[in-house]
Amino acid sequence: MRKKYIKNIIVCVVCFLFIILLNFALPRLIPGDPVAYLTGMDEQSMSAEQYKFYRSALHIDENAFVQFGYYLKEIFTGGLGYSFRKQSDVAAVIGSRIDATLQISLTAVVISCLLALVWGLAAGSKRGIVDKISMPVNAIASTFPVFLIGMTLIIALSFDLKLFPYSGLNSPDVTQGGAAYFFDRIYHLILPVTSLTAAMLPSRFLLMRNTVRTAMSERYVLFARQRGLSMHRIRYSYLLKNVAPPFATMVGMSVGASIGGSVIVENLFSINGMGSLLTDAVYALDYPLIQGVLFVSASIAVVSIILTDIICIIADPKARLEGRK
Amino acid sequence: MKKERLIALILGCTILVLFVLMSAFPSVFTHYGQKEMFDSWLSPSAAHPLGTNDMGYDIFTELVYGSGQTLLIGIASSLIAMLLGTVIGILAAMNNFAGHVFNGIINVFMLLPKLVCLIVVAAFLGRSQIATILLIAAFGWVGTARAVRARTLKIKNSVFIENCVIQGYSKVHIAMRHVLPNLYDVLFSRMVSSVSGCVMMESSLSFLGIGDLYNPTWGTMINLAFRRGAFIRRAYNWLLVPGAAISLLVLAFWLIGLAVKKREA
Repeated sequence: MRKKYIKNIIVCVVCFLFIILLNFALPRLIPGDPVAYLTGMDEQSMSAEQYKFYRSALHIDENAFVQFGYYLKEIFTGGLGYSFRKQSDVAAVIGSRIDATLQISLTAVVISCLLALVWGLAAGSKRGIVDKISMPVNAIASTFPVFLIGMTLIIALSFDLKLFPYSGLNSPDVTQGGAAYFFDRIYHLILPVTSLTAAMLPSRFLLMRNTVRTAMSERYVLFARQRGLSMHRIRYSYLLKNVAPPFATMVGMSVGASIGGSVIVENLFSINGMGSLLTDAVYALDYPLIQGVLFVSASIAVVSIILTDIICIIADPKARLEGRK
Repeated sequence: MKKERLIALILGCTILVLFVLMSAFPSVFTHYGQKEMFDSWLSPSAAHPLGTNDMGYDIFTELVYGSGQTLLIGIASSLIAMLLGTVIGILAAMNNFAGHVFNGIINVFMLLPKLVCLIVVAAFLGRSQIATILLIAAFGWVGTARAVRARTLKIKNSVFIENCVIQGYSKVHIAMRHVLPNLYDVLFSRMVSSVSGCVMMESSLSFLGIGDLYNPTWGTMINLAFRRGAFIRRAYNWLLVPGAAISLLVLAFWLIGLAVKKREA
C-alpha cells in the first residue's frame, strides 16, 4: 500500500521534470529563431546589437547541457525568466494574478469533490431510484462544455434575473480590505465557481459511485448489515473510511484539471487570473510568460498530488501500519 | 433492458448520421453560400432559422459548414490517439524494463494539466488545422493506453497465449495476431469516448481563440460570438446554439457507447 503511494510520488517528480524539459526544448527545437521565441520579439524589430545582446544573454551559442544548466538556475532562483513584453520578471507577473485562479479552482475542487463524495455514497451504496436517476443525469451533464454552462448561467442569472455580476472579481466601488470587500469577492465568485463545479462534478461523481459500488461487495459491509446497522451508519462510518484514500487521490488529481477549466472560466467572466494571463500571452506571443504559466500550473498540479499522497501515507492505516507486526 | 439499449443506439446513430450528412452535403441543408452576406444581427426568422451574425452571415449556414470541420478534427485526432494509445498500451503491458518505462510515460501523461499544456504547445506550433489535430492526439491517447494495458494484462494470463509461447511464436506475432484481435471491444468503446473527448478538447481550444480561423469549427463560432458582443446584443442564438450542437454530438457518441457497452455485459 505504501509502495503504491511512493511510486505515485516518483511519477509526480518525473512529470515535473518532463514539464521542465518540455519548457526548455520547445523554443529551441521548433523551427524558427530561439531568440525570437525566448524574447517574444520579432526578428525584424530587433537591431543587430540587440540581437547579439539577447543571443549572449540567453546563452544560445553554448551547448545544450550548459544551456539547460542556466535554465535550471533561472527556475530555482525564482525569476522564471524575464518577460520582455511586460518588462518584468515572469514570476512577479504570475504572482500578481495567481490568487484569483487559486480562489476559483481550489473552491471548485473542494465543492465538486465533496458533492461527488456524498452523492456517490448515496447512489453507490444502494441499487435504487437515486442511482437510477443520477447515472443518466450525470452522463448528460458531462456532455456540456464549461463555457456552455458558464454562458447559460450568465444569460439566465445575470442578464435576465440580474442576480449576479457577470464579470470581474470585485465591484469597482468597494475598497480593499474589510468585511464588505470579502463578501463582495464571494458574491463575484459564485457564478465562476458554480460553472466550473458543474463541469467537474459528473466525472468525479461517476468515479466515486463506482468506487463505492466496488466497496459494497466487501464482506465487512455484509457483516455490518447482518448486525442490523442502519444504511446511514454503514455509509458514513464504514464505507467512508474505505473510500477515503481513492477520494484523496481524486482530489489531488482534480487540481490540475481545475486549473485548465479555470482558464476558460476566467476568459468567460473577464477575471484577471493566471488563465486569462495565459491566453493574453498567447495572443501577444509573449513566450517566456506562456512557459512560466505552464511551469506554475504544472507545479501546482504536481504538488497537490504529492501532498495528497503524503496525507494518505500518514492517515491511511493500511499504509501507516504496514510492516509492523 | 434490450429495448433501452436499442433506443439509445437508434437515437445516437440518428444524431450522428444527421451531423455526418450535414458535413458531407452542406448544400442540401442550407441554400445560402458560406460567405453570402445579409443584414447583420437579424433575429431568427423563416428565411434565417438562426438569424445572422455581425458580418451578416447566416448562422445556420455557418453551423452546417462548421460541423464538417468539428467532426474532421474530432475523428482524425481520435484515430491518431487510438493508434498511439493501442501501441503504447500493448508495449506498457510487457513485463520488462521497456514495459515499465512505457507504463511510466502513461502515468506521467495522466498527471499533466492537459488543457494548459495544449495551449502552450499550440502557441509554439501555430494555428494550422493539422497542428491542432496532432496536438489533441498527442495529449489524448492516455485513456486508451490505460484501457488497452489493463485488457492486455488480462489476455496475457490466458491459456491460449501460453500455448502460443510454447509453440515458439515471436512476441510481435503474438501481439499482432492474438492480442490485438481480442482488444476489439475495448477499442470500440474507447473510440466512442475518445471522439467525444477530442471534440470537447477542440471546442475548448477554439473557444479560447487557439484554433484555425480559416476553417471555423463550432468552438470558433462561439469564440467569435463572445468576442464580437453577442452578449450585449442578446444574440443568444449565435452564442448558445453551437455549444448545444457540441453537447448533442458528444451525447450521440455517449448513447452509442452505452449501447455497445451493454452488449458486452
